[in-house]
Amino acid sequence: MFTKKEYKDFDRTLVLIVLLIFIIGCLAIYSAQQAKGLAFDKSFLLKQIIWLAIGSLVLAASISVSYQRFIDFAYIIYGINLGLLFLVLILGHTRLGAQRWFSIAGFAFQPSEFIKVSLILAVSNYIGSHQDEMSSLKNLIVPIMLFSIPFGLVVLQPDLGTAILLIPIFFSMLLMGGCRIKYLALMALTGMVSLPFAWQFLREYQKQRLLVFLNPNIDPLGSGYNIIQSKIAIGSGGLLGKGWLNGTQNQLNFLPERHTDFIFSVIGEEWGFVGAACVLALFFILTKKALDISRLTSDAYGTSVAGGIAVMLAMHVIINIGMTIGLMPVVGIPLPLVSYGGSSLVATLIAIGLLLNVGMRRSTF
Amino acid sequence: MRERFIPAFLSISFAVLLIALFYNQAVMFNYYSTLSKNNAIRIVPIDGPRGQVFDRNGIRLVSNRLAFDVAVIHRELRSEGELTDFLAKTLGASRQDVERSLAKARTRPYEPVTIVEDIDKDKALLLEESTIYMPGLEIKTRSRRHYLYGDIGSHVFGYLSEVTESELEQLEEYGYRQKDLIGRSGIEKSYESRLRGVDGATLIQVDSKARQVRTLGMKEPSSGEDLYLSIDMRLEALCDKMLKERRGAIVVMDPQNGQILALSSGPTFDPNVFVKSKGSAERLRLMKDLKGRPLSNRATSNSYEPGSVFKVVIASGALETKKISVNTHFSCPGSYTLGRTRFDCWKEGGHGSQDVKDALKNSCNVFFYQTGRALGVDNIETYAKLLGFGKACGIDLPDEVSGLVPGRMWKRFYKKDNWYEGETVNYAIGQGYLLVTPLQILNMMAAVSNGGKLVKPHLAVRIGSSNITQTAPRNINLKERTLKEVKTGLFNVVNAEHGTGGRAKVEGISIAGKTGTAQNPRGPTHAWFSGFAPFDNPRICLVVFLEHGGKGGLEPAEMAKGIFEEAKRLGYL
Repeated sequence: MFTKKEYKDFDRTLVLIVLLIFIIGCLAIYSAQQAKGLAFDKSFLLKQIIWLAIGSLVLAASISVSYQRFIDFAYIIYGINLGLLFLVLILGHTRLGAQRWFSIAGFAFQPSEFIKVSLILAVSNYIGSHQDEMSSLKNLIVPIMLFSIPFGLVVLQPDLGTAILLIPIFFSMLLMGGCRIKYLALMALTGMVSLPFAWQFLREYQKQRLLVFLNPNIDPLGSGYNIIQSKIAIGSGGLLGKGWLNGTQNQLNFLPERHTDFIFSVIGEEWGFVGAACVLALFFILTKKALDISRLTSDAYGTSVAGGIAVMLAMHVIINIGMTIGLMPVVGIPLPLVSYGGSSLVATLIAIGLLLNVGMRRSTF
Repeated sequence: MRERFIPAFLSISFAVLLIALFYNQAVMFNYYSTLSKNNAIRIVPIDGPRGQVFDRNGIRLVSNRLAFDVAVIHRELRSEGELTDFLAKTLGASRQDVERSLAKARTRPYEPVTIVEDIDKDKALLLEESTIYMPGLEIKTRSRRHYLYGDIGSHVFGYLSEVTESELEQLEEYGYRQKDLIGRSGIEKSYESRLRGVDGATLIQVDSKARQVRTLGMKEPSSGEDLYLSIDMRLEALCDKMLKERRGAIVVMDPQNGQILALSSGPTFDPNVFVKSKGSAERLRLMKDLKGRPLSNRATSNSYEPGSVFKVVIASGALETKKISVNTHFSCPGSYTLGRTRFDCWKEGGHGSQDVKDALKNSCNVFFYQTGRALGVDNIETYAKLLGFGKACGIDLPDEVSGLVPGRMWKRFYKKDNWYEGETVNYAIGQGYLLVTPLQILNMMAAVSNGGKLVKPHLAVRIGSSNITQTAPRNINLKERTLKEVKTGLFNVVNAEHGTGGRAKVEGISIAGKTGTAQNPRGPTHAWFSGFAPFDNPRICLVVFLEHGGKGGLEPAEMAKGIFEEAKRLGYL
């Protein structure tokens, strides 16, 4: 199936790190679902493991053929994903509120989790085929289009977390691809200037969410409360933590969303600074490895894909953990491989698969 | 340089996270540890009251009152037994009841759990004083919806109940939270988004003695907008008292602009019953009464056979299409034969020779059998729809139904059969497949009375500080001669000797109207009366409907009389 060289370049350390992070996540989810008293779905851990099985199959599939094949089909994958985003928006619209996912046979499927990878592939395709021309302004038009459409769609959902993640992914890919910093600054400026106009198009509840996002204190029952409880949980964990299954904030139901977006608070409370720092270190090594793969790849497509994925993973971690300790506003971004959630896990594993793929085939020519 | 930028940025970010974690977990450990041990964060809700409702004269109909709940923070209790005794004595409840309520608090020991809702004010004051000796006991106030007149106006207001788990998934985006109340019927439902107030809260930190140390966050509450209705509470009260437990509907409207003065559906209910969060016996009774269905609005959300009231449509259509003229006479020998089927008139001996005015006055079936056949099913369908049947009137109440105006197409599509001439004969006297709501009858009568303008019935005239722009009446272009002829017939119904609606007659008011006695497959006949006054420039138009109520010329006509008299007393006529 694989050539000897591919097998040799297959990054086993990276797989090990991914596995370690996932196991830590499972332990934290298990602890989060132990809480007494309230009606709380106790099957999260089981579902998460089922999702891992599905995700591993998808991962295997995503390394079985050269990443070049995925690049070839990048626009088609991207197009299908856009279609799904549209569909979610339409269905969500008729149901009054925000709707981010489809339900297929009881499993929720969330297209916005996948658009990050689709965008990375599509932009890589363009950058790769315009290798030394990215410094020209006119070659920015297509990438900007590729970025703007899904960005607009996820903002409308509104899935602010994904929208905010798309920005650093896109900018850093352009930066790595050779775009002039002058132009990037110009784009950032244009984006900021056009914000007030975009505001007019938002519906009342979308505006409300954005306002709470900017200042959680205006809704102490919502995210403001979450942040405070999360900070208490993490802070009271101390250096060594209260011990697994012994987190009082967690066990007493004070932590909201503790199996998904605030899973890191459970880790911080129960395993203390030592545990939290270990998780942070594992993610740092993962990021470092991804950046190395990107740097050591001579092929422009591969560099771009790996670089995009590195930034995607790292930004997830930075925003999520930053959110739990109050450095970042609450945007609803999962901690990759740790937070409960099928779409996020599968999308992350696809990204890891592509990373491994680039790593093992980087010097095939 | 540019290759280094991204790794550098990411590394610095990770370093910042690490430092922040160290700061929170090592440097600030004592602070957070204390907060965690004392469970020192409390949410104190602030009510965002729901908008009030007023009638056309500014009388308050629906309001909010302060209610007192008993709450317990179980962890802070000194002795459960002591509290049980104390509460049982103060509230006059049995020990077992109090114990059962306290069990709820045990499952969530760290937060105030409401164990008894809505206690008397003096008891609340007594308990409030004792909270010093009873740590863990709290008296909480909150505003509760209050329908000032009990079951008067129940079907105008509708009722509220708590949002369900599944609704919450959708409604969370709009700021709904668990235990929030939401309008389930009436204007409470149709104006939910305007009436609703949004609760706010402060997030506070307390010390170990539960005293507030600092405020951590604040969300301002916002109150709902007040709603001003066109209802006149005095007329509304009269109509509701007339119906009470009777199954039926009464609607009174200004036929010039569609403002509803009273809307009543029986049996009535007391919406206050639904305000408490726990189900009471009365609430269960209301929801389980499948025969009376007191929560269903019979004026707008149910459709019935109209019977002879529908003859107004036939008369108008036939005159309009010149199938009959003002001079056309048909003879009524007491029955009418089509093929081998005999269709009876309600008067056995027959009415003799009559023109359209006489036929309306006498409600002669035989005249309308023949007129209906001359008009034909297609024209009947056209004129019924023109006069507003077959579709919702668009009143600002939820769940209005459209009724049914049958026709050839409908029959083919739903019954897979041709239209038979015998069905046209029945159609002409408002029987057969035809189904109408009392509101539609009222709307038709209003259009006949006001010179052929179909109004849009409505209840709300103002929300907050903004007037509601009313839809202009739609002219349906009936000839003046047609209307004059029909109206004269309707005047005779009430005022001429032997008119079927004679019981509605009031000295000094020129009333016109039409009775209806509709056979139906479910029991005794439905009784209808719909009319208007004054004859020349109508200000009041009404419909009275009694489900299985016997003859339209009896009770409904008498009720109408009572309403007209009251309207005169109130200065409308």
